[in-house]
Amino acid sequence: MKNNIRVERAIKNITQAELAELVAVSRQTINTIESNKYVPSTVLALKIARVFSKPLEEIFMLEDGD
Amino acid sequence: MKSHFLFPYWCRYLGWGLVIAHVPLSMIGRMNGMVNPLDSAPGNTSLFTGEHLFFISTTLLMALGLFLVAFASEKIEDEQIWQIRLDSLRWAIYVNYLILIISLVFINDTAHILELNLWVPLLFFIIRFRWVIFRLNRSLSKEG
Repeated sequence: MKNNIRVERAIKNITQAELAELVAVSRQTINTIESNKYVPSTVLALKIARVFSKPLEEIFMLEDGD
Repeated sequence: MKSHFLFPYWCRYLGWGLVIAHVPLSMIGRMNGMVNPLDSAPGNTSLFTGEHLFFISTTLLMALGLFLVAFASEKIEDEQIWQIRLDSLRWAIYVNYLILIISLVFINDTAHILELNLWVPLLFFIIRFRWVIFRLNRSLSKEG
């Protein structure tokens, strides 16, 4: 699964730490999600989508092989 | 996230304190001529003698300390930390059973196997858990 959290953060102009605080996780977690090392739970993914006010599919996408 | 039972964050420091405190305590015991019941000759297995109680309490101090360190919550306990925790527990069980099976086959000393079994899973869990978190933090500071 890939995501464009980094792009969305740039549009909204917030840092990893700020996003982490908004969804109540650590900065490490946001960092590993952005670099595709960690797949968030559905709850966390929905929370992140809510921060950017976008549907889930615009932020997280399946990759070939998923 | 649904909360799971863990000890408060400060228990980590209490745990290390107990682990460190058990070292001089058991050394003092040994210097005073006490023999760990595990090391004494077979047959000498009376329970609740002074020596028995002393070594049971120092061993318990160490085990309790490791237990508190292992299961104290992180400052920010999120789902990724929880996943690392579970993964480290899985590895700790693998390693523990590997050592247990090897020692059961090759070592004819069940008392020390018990002692090993007391701290190997906890210690391995702590080392693996902290190592993964250390690596996470390092990759974070590299990216700035």
